[in-house]
Amino acid sequence: MRSQPKGWCAANRGRANRGMRRQRVEIPFRATHAGFAHAFSRLRGALDGEGLDPAPRYNVELVFEEIVANIVAHGAVDGREPDVRVTLEPSSDSIVLKFEDDGPPFDPRGRTDPVPAKSLEEARIGGFGLMLVRRAASALDYLRTAEGRNRVTVTLPRGGTPVRSCEAVV
Amino acid sequence: MQLQLGDAGDGVLNVVLIGRLDTPGVDRIEAELTTHLVRYGTRATIDLSQVAFIGSAGIRMFITIARALDRKAGRMVLYGARPLVAKVLETVSLDYIVPVRADAIAAEGVVRG
Repeated sequence: MRSQPKGWCAANRGRANRGMRRQRVEIPFRATHAGFAHAFSRLRGALDGEGLDPAPRYNVELVFEEIVANIVAHGAVDGREPDVRVTLEPSSDSIVLKFEDDGPPFDPRGRTDPVPAKSLEEARIGGFGLMLVRRAASALDYLRTAEGRNRVTVTLPRGGTPVRSCEAVV
Repeated sequence: MQLQLGDAGDGVLNVVLIGRLDTPGVDRIEAELTTHLVRYGTRATIDLSQVAFIGSAGIRMFITIARALDRKAGRMVLYGARPLVAKVLETVSLDYIVPVRADAIAAEGVVRG
């Protein structure tokens, strides 16, 4: 009975070792298309060291994409793009993404999902981004800070099996 | 993000998309893809098997192109999506308004039908 868990544990020790590199990463950028592309590249580089399974990694990138795209599209005031700071906070069981920007107040929590369209003519173009964020996240919080910044905090499950249950077998 | 165009016969265009359909990726190909598909009301199959990521920017692009094609009696069918990409298409119910099929044969059946 133990031979199979040992193989399983070897694979998961590798994951745990990769987890030793877990660290908080801050990505500051201006909310332009170029800033977005650069920041997205930095996020993917940081995620490379996290050893996430494909599905949770996809969801982290999806949340980043949707929240930042929204800031880039709607955050500018009088032609000035917001300053954005994204913080990636990995832990053993979750990934937390914090998005701060100095654009106009925007609380993503109260938005409703688009209703599936019955035809191309009536199909909505917008609204899917926040819907995808809500589907991917285990928690979504918003605060307008005293300094006048939006702070959106998204928690995503890390996925995979906890390494702790492996240690009992070895 | 890249696109490759191929002739699938009988006036059907096959488009292979390669890369990531995130906002930067959509910015790179949307104008070119729209030009190729919409100008002549093309019937087209879109191969997603080499698309590693799609977000709402990609969904918006497909709805916009499909709507413009519909007005010109053209048609577009998506096929071959990887599981994580297929999950996004399913979550937003894209297949209610744009046909999504598992493979090229099924997609060609729809676009020629």
